[in-house]
Amino acid sequence: MSSHKDVIDDKDLANLAQVRALYAHADPVPVDLTERIKFALTVQALHAEVAELMDSAMLATRGPSAPVEPMPTESVTFSAASVSLMVTANESDIEGRVRVDGWVTAPGASIEAVTSEGSTSVISDANGRFVMDDLPHGPIHFVIMVEPGDETTRPVITPTIQV
Amino acid sequence: MTPTPTAPDGLGTLAGQAFAAYRAGDRERLSSLVDLVTPVLWNAARSQGGTPSMCEDAVQTAFLQLVDRAESINEPAAVLGWLVVVVKREVWRLARGSRREIGVEEVPEAPAQSLDPEAQSILSERQRVLWQHIASLSPRCQELIRVIAFADRPDYAAIAESLGMPVGSIGPTRGRCLQKLRLTLGSDPGWAV
Repeated sequence: MSSHKDVIDDKDLANLAQVRALYAHADPVPVDLTERIKFALTVQALHAEVAELMDSAMLATRGPSAPVEPMPTESVTFSAASVSLMVTANESDIEGRVRVDGWVTAPGASIEAVTSEGSTSVISDANGRFVMDDLPHGPIHFVIMVEPGDETTRPVITPTIQV
Repeated sequence: MTPTPTAPDGLGTLAGQAFAAYRAGDRERLSSLVDLVTPVLWNAARSQGGTPSMCEDAVQTAFLQLVDRAESINEPAAVLGWLVVVVKREVWRLARGSRREIGVEEVPEAPAQSLDPEAQSILSERQRVLWQHIASLSPRCQELIRVIAFADRPDYAAIAESLGMPVGSIGPTRGRCLQKLRLTLGSDPGWAV
Protein backbone atom coordinates (compact mmCIF):
# COMPACT_ATOMS: atom_id res chain seq x y z
CA MET A 1 0.00 0.00 0.00
CA SER A 2 1.52 3.32 -0.96
CA SER A 3 1.60 6.29 1.35
CA HIS A 4 2.03 10.00 0.85
CA LYS A 5 5.19 9.71 2.94
CA ASP A 6 6.84 7.38 0.44
CA VAL A 7 9.46 8.67 -1.93
CA ILE A 8 8.17 9.69 -5.37
CA ASP A 9 8.60 6.69 -7.65
CA ASP A 10 8.45 5.84 -11.34
CA LYS A 11 4.70 5.35 -11.24
CA ASP A 12 4.21 8.89 -9.97
CA LEU A 13 6.53 10.18 -12.67
CA ALA A 14 4.57 8.22 -15.28
CA ASN A 15 1.33 9.76 -14.01
CA LEU A 16 2.85 13.23 -14.20
CA ALA A 17 4.09 12.57 -17.73
CA GLN A 18 0.49 11.81 -18.72
CA VAL A 19 -0.72 15.00 -17.03
CA ARG A 20 1.93 16.95 -18.87
CA ALA A 21 0.95 15.43 -22.22
CA LEU A 22 -2.68 16.28 -21.56
CA TYR A 23 -2.08 19.97 -20.85
CA ALA A 24 0.56 20.31 -23.57
CA HIS A 25 -1.99 18.96 -26.02
CA ALA A 26 -5.11 20.78 -24.82
CA ASP A 27 -3.57 24.11 -23.76
CA PRO A 28 -0.21 24.41 -25.52
CA VAL A 29 2.25 27.26 -25.08
CA PRO A 30 1.46 29.70 -27.95
CA VAL A 31 3.89 28.86 -30.76
CA ASP A 32 5.52 32.25 -30.97
CA LEU A 33 5.53 33.12 -27.25
CA THR A 34 9.23 32.46 -26.65
CA GLU A 35 10.21 34.49 -29.73
CA ARG A 36 8.08 37.41 -28.60
CA ILE A 37 9.57 37.27 -25.11
CA LYS A 38 13.11 37.25 -26.53
CA PHE A 39 12.23 40.19 -28.74
CA ALA A 40 10.85 42.14 -25.77
CA LEU A 41 14.01 41.36 -23.80
CA THR A 42 16.19 42.60 -26.67
CA VAL A 43 14.22 45.82 -26.97
CA GLN A 44 14.60 46.35 -23.24
CA ALA A 45 18.32 45.53 -23.26
CA LEU A 46 19.03 47.93 -26.15
CA HIS A 47 16.63 50.64 -24.97
CA ALA A 48 15.63 50.43 -28.60
CA GLU A 49 12.95 52.12 -30.63
CA VAL A 50 10.71 49.55 -32.30
CA ALA A 51 10.13 50.12 -36.02
CA GLU A 52 6.71 49.46 -37.44
CA LEU A 53 6.14 46.96 -40.23
CA MET A 54 4.55 49.06 -42.97
CA ASP A 55 3.53 46.49 -45.54
CA SER A 56 3.58 42.76 -45.31
CA ALA A 57 1.87 41.37 -48.34
CA MET A 58 4.27 38.46 -48.54
CA LEU A 59 6.30 38.39 -45.37
CA ALA A 60 4.18 37.93 -42.30
CA THR A 61 5.47 38.21 -38.77
CA ARG A 62 5.09 34.77 -37.38
CA GLY A 63 6.66 32.23 -35.15
CA PRO A 64 9.68 30.13 -35.98
CA SER A 65 7.65 26.94 -35.93
CA ALA A 66 5.58 28.04 -38.92
CA PRO A 67 6.24 25.98 -42.01
CA VAL A 68 8.68 27.49 -44.43
CA GLU A 69 6.74 29.50 -46.98
CA PRO A 70 7.75 29.98 -50.59
CA MET A 71 10.52 32.56 -50.76
CA PRO A 72 8.94 36.01 -50.78
CA THR A 73 10.21 38.41 -53.41
CA GLU A 74 8.30 41.53 -52.49
CA SER A 75 9.85 44.26 -50.42
CA VAL A 76 9.01 44.90 -46.83
CA THR A 77 9.30 48.32 -45.27
CA PHE A 78 9.89 49.11 -41.62
CA SER A 79 9.47 52.61 -40.35
CA ALA A 80 10.62 54.41 -37.21
CA ALA A 81 10.89 58.09 -36.31
CA SER A 82 14.61 58.30 -37.11
CA VAL A 83 14.96 55.85 -39.99
CA SER A 84 13.15 53.63 -42.48
CA LEU A 85 14.36 50.29 -43.77
CA MET A 86 13.28 48.43 -46.90
CA VAL A 87 14.38 44.84 -47.45
CA THR A 88 13.86 42.24 -50.15
CA ALA A 89 14.70 38.61 -49.60
CA ASN A 90 15.70 36.22 -52.41
CA GLU A 91 17.46 32.91 -52.83
CA SER A 92 21.19 33.48 -52.48
CA ASP A 93 23.79 32.24 -54.98
CA ILE A 94 25.02 30.23 -52.02
CA GLU A 95 23.02 26.99 -51.97
CA GLY A 96 20.16 26.99 -49.46
CA ARG A 97 20.92 30.48 -48.16
CA VAL A 98 19.04 33.75 -48.28
CA ARG A 99 20.17 37.02 -49.82
CA VAL A 100 18.74 40.24 -48.42
CA ASP A 101 18.99 43.44 -50.43
CA GLY A 102 18.26 46.44 -48.28
CA TRP A 103 18.04 50.17 -48.28
CA VAL A 104 17.98 52.50 -45.28
CA THR A 105 17.27 56.20 -45.23
CA ALA A 106 20.70 56.74 -43.64
CA PRO A 107 24.06 56.27 -45.38
CA GLY A 108 26.80 54.86 -43.16
CA ALA A 109 24.32 53.24 -40.79
CA SER A 110 25.10 49.92 -39.18
CA ILE A 111 22.56 47.20 -39.93
CA GLU A 112 22.69 44.05 -37.87
CA ALA A 113 20.70 41.01 -39.00
CA VAL A 114 19.81 38.73 -36.09
CA THR A 115 18.94 35.17 -37.10
CA SER A 116 18.81 31.75 -35.51
CA GLU A 117 22.55 31.47 -36.21
CA GLY A 118 23.55 34.67 -34.46
CA SER A 119 24.09 38.09 -35.96
CA THR A 120 25.80 39.67 -38.96
CA SER A 121 26.49 43.38 -39.40
CA VAL A 122 27.07 45.58 -42.44
CA ILE A 123 27.37 49.32 -43.02
CA SER A 124 25.07 50.95 -45.57
CA ASP A 125 26.82 52.63 -48.53
CA ALA A 126 26.62 56.31 -49.52
CA ASN A 127 23.18 55.67 -50.98
CA GLY A 128 21.98 53.73 -47.97
CA ARG A 129 22.18 50.37 -49.75
CA PHE A 130 23.46 47.12 -48.31
CA VAL A 131 23.53 43.40 -49.16
CA MET A 132 23.73 40.29 -47.01
CA ASP A 133 23.99 37.10 -49.05
CA ASP A 134 24.67 34.34 -46.54
CA LEU A 135 21.69 34.30 -44.20
CA PRO A 136 19.73 31.25 -43.05
CA HIS A 137 16.04 30.68 -43.74
CA GLY A 138 13.84 31.32 -40.74
CA PRO A 139 13.10 34.19 -38.39
CA ILE A 140 15.12 37.38 -38.78
CA HIS A 141 15.04 40.86 -37.33
CA PHE A 142 17.22 43.90 -37.87
CA VAL A 143 18.87 46.33 -35.47
CA ILE A 144 19.84 49.65 -37.04
CA MET A 145 22.30 52.16 -35.59
CA VAL A 146 21.94 55.36 -37.61
CA GLU A 147 25.21 56.68 -36.22
CA PRO A 148 27.31 53.70 -35.23
CA GLY A 149 29.67 54.58 -32.42
CA ASP A 150 27.43 57.30 -31.04
CA GLU A 151 26.24 55.86 -27.75
CA THR A 152 23.63 58.55 -27.27
CA THR A 153 21.40 57.57 -30.21
CA ARG A 154 18.89 54.83 -29.62
CA PRO A 155 19.09 51.80 -31.88
CA VAL A 156 16.04 50.93 -33.96
CA ILE A 157 14.83 47.34 -33.88
CA THR A 158 12.41 45.77 -36.36
CA PRO A 159 9.81 43.11 -35.63
CA THR A 160 10.79 39.58 -36.57
CA ILE A 161 9.90 38.40 -40.07
CA GLN A 162 10.28 35.03 -41.71
CA VAL A 163 12.56 34.64 -44.75
CA MET B 1 13.81 8.71 3.77
CA THR B 2 16.42 9.42 1.13
CA PRO B 3 18.16 12.79 1.07
CA THR B 4 16.74 15.45 -1.23
CA PRO B 5 17.79 14.45 -4.73
CA THR B 6 20.02 16.95 -6.41
CA ALA B 7 19.99 15.55 -9.91
CA PRO B 8 22.23 17.82 -11.98
CA ASP B 9 19.81 17.89 -14.88
CA GLY B 10 16.68 19.13 -13.09
CA LEU B 11 14.95 22.02 -14.84
CA GLY B 12 15.60 24.33 -11.89
CA THR B 13 19.31 23.53 -11.93
CA LEU B 14 19.60 24.13 -15.68
CA ALA B 15 17.66 27.38 -15.34
CA GLY B 16 19.92 28.47 -12.48
CA GLN B 17 23.02 27.74 -14.55
CA ALA B 18 21.69 29.67 -17.55
CA PHE B 19 20.78 32.64 -15.39
CA ALA B 20 24.14 32.63 -13.57
CA ALA B 21 25.95 32.55 -16.94
CA TYR B 22 23.78 35.42 -18.19
CA ARG B 23 24.62 37.46 -15.11
CA ALA B 24 28.30 36.71 -15.63
CA GLY B 25 28.10 38.33 -19.06
CA ASP B 26 27.06 35.55 -21.42
CA ARG B 27 24.02 37.40 -22.76
CA GLU B 28 23.00 34.62 -25.14
CA ARG B 29 22.13 32.37 -22.22
CA LEU B 30 19.06 34.47 -21.51
CA SER B 31 17.48 32.90 -24.61
CA SER B 32 18.22 29.42 -23.26
CA LEU B 33 16.52 30.38 -20.01
CA VAL B 34 13.42 31.55 -21.91
CA ASP B 35 13.30 28.30 -23.90
CA LEU B 36 13.79 26.17 -20.79
CA VAL B 37 11.24 27.61 -18.44
CA THR B 38 8.48 29.09 -20.61
CA PRO B 39 6.44 25.83 -20.62
CA VAL B 40 6.36 25.58 -16.82
CA LEU B 41 5.65 29.31 -16.49
CA TRP B 42 2.85 29.13 -19.05
CA ASN B 43 1.22 26.33 -17.07
CA ALA B 44 1.76 28.17 -13.78
CA ALA B 45 -0.02 31.15 -15.36
CA ARG B 46 -2.83 29.18 -16.98
CA SER B 47 -3.41 27.22 -13.78
CA GLN B 48 -4.48 30.48 -12.12
CA GLY B 49 -7.43 30.78 -14.50
CA GLY B 50 -6.14 33.77 -16.49
CA THR B 51 -7.04 34.23 -20.15
CA PRO B 52 -4.39 33.24 -22.71
CA SER B 53 -3.45 36.84 -23.47
CA MET B 54 -3.21 37.66 -19.76
CA CYS B 55 -0.95 34.66 -19.28
CA GLU B 56 1.28 35.62 -22.19
CA ASP B 57 1.69 39.08 -20.69
CA ALA B 58 2.38 37.64 -17.25
CA VAL B 59 5.14 35.34 -18.50
CA GLN B 60 6.74 38.13 -20.53
CA THR B 61 6.55 40.55 -17.62
CA ALA B 62 8.26 38.04 -15.34
CA PHE B 63 11.26 37.84 -17.67
CA LEU B 64 11.45 41.62 -18.09
CA GLN B 65 11.40 42.02 -14.29
CA LEU B 66 14.04 39.33 -13.95
CA VAL B 67 16.38 41.23 -16.26
CA ASP B 68 15.60 44.53 -14.56
CA ARG B 69 16.45 43.07 -11.17
CA ALA B 70 19.07 40.57 -12.30
CA GLU B 71 21.79 42.00 -10.09
CA SER B 72 19.69 42.09 -6.95
CA ILE B 73 18.59 38.45 -7.05
CA ASN B 74 20.42 36.76 -4.21
CA GLU B 75 20.15 33.18 -5.32
CA PRO B 76 20.58 32.75 -9.09
CA ALA B 77 20.09 29.02 -8.56
CA ALA B 78 16.54 29.68 -7.34
CA VAL B 79 15.54 31.62 -10.45
CA LEU B 80 12.82 29.14 -11.47
CA GLY B 81 10.99 29.59 -8.18
CA TRP B 82 11.43 33.35 -8.41
CA LEU B 83 9.84 33.39 -11.87
CA VAL B 84 6.93 31.18 -10.77
CA VAL B 85 6.16 33.56 -7.90
CA VAL B 86 6.18 36.59 -10.20
CA VAL B 87 4.05 34.90 -12.85
CA LYS B 88 1.43 33.79 -10.36
CA ARG B 89 1.26 37.24 -8.77
CA GLU B 90 1.16 38.92 -12.18
CA VAL B 91 -1.79 36.85 -13.42
CA TRP B 92 -3.75 37.76 -10.33
CA ARG B 93 -2.82 41.41 -10.70
CA LEU B 94 -3.98 41.41 -14.33
CA ALA B 95 -7.14 39.49 -13.45
CA ARG B 96 -8.04 42.08 -10.85
CA GLY B 97 -7.53 44.78 -13.44
CA SER B 98 -7.43 48.25 -12.06
CA ARG B 99 -8.94 47.35 -8.72
CA ARG B 100 -5.78 47.36 -6.63
CA GLU B 101 -2.27 46.07 -6.30
CA ILE B 102 -1.97 42.90 -4.33
CA GLY B 103 1.01 41.66 -2.38
CA VAL B 104 2.52 38.19 -2.59
CA GLU B 105 0.86 37.17 0.65
CA GLU B 106 -2.55 38.07 -0.69
CA VAL B 107 -2.46 35.91 -3.80
CA PRO B 108 -5.61 33.83 -3.62
CA GLU B 109 -5.78 30.15 -4.30
CA ALA B 110 -6.08 28.92 -7.85
CA PRO B 111 -9.50 27.85 -9.12
CA ALA B 112 -10.21 24.30 -10.26
CA GLN B 113 -8.49 23.69 -13.58
CA SER B 114 -10.68 24.04 -16.62
CA LEU B 115 -10.35 23.38 -20.33
CA ASP B 116 -12.36 25.02 -23.10
CA PRO B 117 -14.94 22.76 -24.70
CA GLU B 118 -12.81 23.01 -27.82
CA ALA B 119 -9.72 21.81 -25.94
CA GLN B 120 -11.69 19.01 -24.33
CA SER B 121 -12.90 17.84 -27.71
CA ILE B 122 -9.35 17.16 -28.90
CA LEU B 123 -8.43 14.95 -25.94
CA SER B 124 -7.81 11.31 -26.62
CA GLU B 125 -10.06 8.72 -24.95
CA ARG B 126 -7.40 8.07 -22.33
CA GLN B 127 -6.84 11.77 -21.71
CA ARG B 128 -10.59 12.16 -21.15
CA VAL B 129 -10.37 9.54 -18.41
CA LEU B 130 -7.33 11.27 -16.90
CA TRP B 131 -9.12 14.60 -17.03
CA GLN B 132 -12.01 13.18 -14.98
CA HIS B 133 -9.56 12.02 -12.33
CA ILE B 134 -7.70 15.34 -12.27
CA ALA B 135 -11.03 17.11 -11.82
CA SER B 136 -11.75 14.96 -8.76
CA LEU B 137 -8.74 16.44 -6.89
CA SER B 138 -8.90 19.60 -4.79
CA PRO B 139 -8.19 22.81 -6.74
CA ARG B 140 -4.95 23.21 -4.78
CA CYS B 141 -3.77 19.75 -5.83
CA GLN B 142 -4.86 20.34 -9.43
CA GLU B 143 -2.73 23.46 -9.56
CA LEU B 144 0.31 21.78 -8.02
CA ILE B 145 0.09 18.68 -10.19
CA ARG B 146 -0.29 20.72 -13.36
CA VAL B 147 2.75 22.90 -12.70
CA ILE B 148 5.17 20.26 -11.42
CA ALA B 149 4.26 18.06 -14.39
CA PHE B 150 6.28 20.54 -16.49
CA ALA B 151 9.35 20.35 -14.25
CA ASP B 152 11.65 17.62 -12.94
CA ARG B 153 11.60 15.67 -9.70
CA PRO B 154 14.30 17.77 -7.97
CA ASP B 155 12.20 20.90 -8.61
CA TYR B 156 8.91 19.84 -7.04
CA ALA B 157 9.58 21.13 -3.54
CA ALA B 158 10.73 24.56 -4.70
CA ILE B 159 7.82 24.92 -7.11
CA ALA B 160 5.30 23.92 -4.45
CA GLU B 161 6.73 26.56 -2.17
CA SER B 162 6.63 29.18 -4.96
CA LEU B 163 2.95 28.39 -5.45
CA GLY B 164 2.39 29.10 -1.78
CA MET B 165 2.11 25.53 -0.50
CA PRO B 166 3.55 24.44 2.83
CA VAL B 167 7.18 23.35 2.91
CA GLY B 168 7.32 19.57 2.75
CA SER B 169 4.01 19.25 0.86
CA ILE B 170 5.83 17.38 -1.89
CA GLY B 171 9.33 16.14 -2.76
CA PRO B 172 11.22 14.03 -2.03
CA THR B 173 8.14 12.37 -0.54
CA ARG B 174 5.07 11.90 -2.68
CA GLY B 175 2.87 14.23 -0.69
CA ARG B 176 -0.90 14.19 -0.52
CA CYS B 177 -1.61 15.50 -4.01
CA LEU B 178 0.48 12.95 -5.90
CA GLN B 179 -0.84 10.25 -3.57
CA LYS B 180 -4.44 11.20 -4.37
CA LEU B 181 -3.75 11.18 -8.09
CA ARG B 182 -2.14 7.76 -7.74
CA LEU B 183 -5.06 6.38 -5.75
CA THR B 184 -7.80 7.72 -7.97
CA LEU B 185 -6.06 6.44 -11.11
CA GLY B 186 -5.25 3.13 -9.40
CA SER B 187 -8.87 2.58 -8.44
CA ASP B 188 -10.04 2.95 -12.05
CA PRO B 189 -10.07 -0.37 -13.91
CA GLY B 190 -10.26 1.66 -17.12
CA TRP B 191 -6.86 3.14 -16.35
CA ALA B 192 -4.69 0.06 -16.00
CA VAL B 193 -1.20 1.31 -16.83
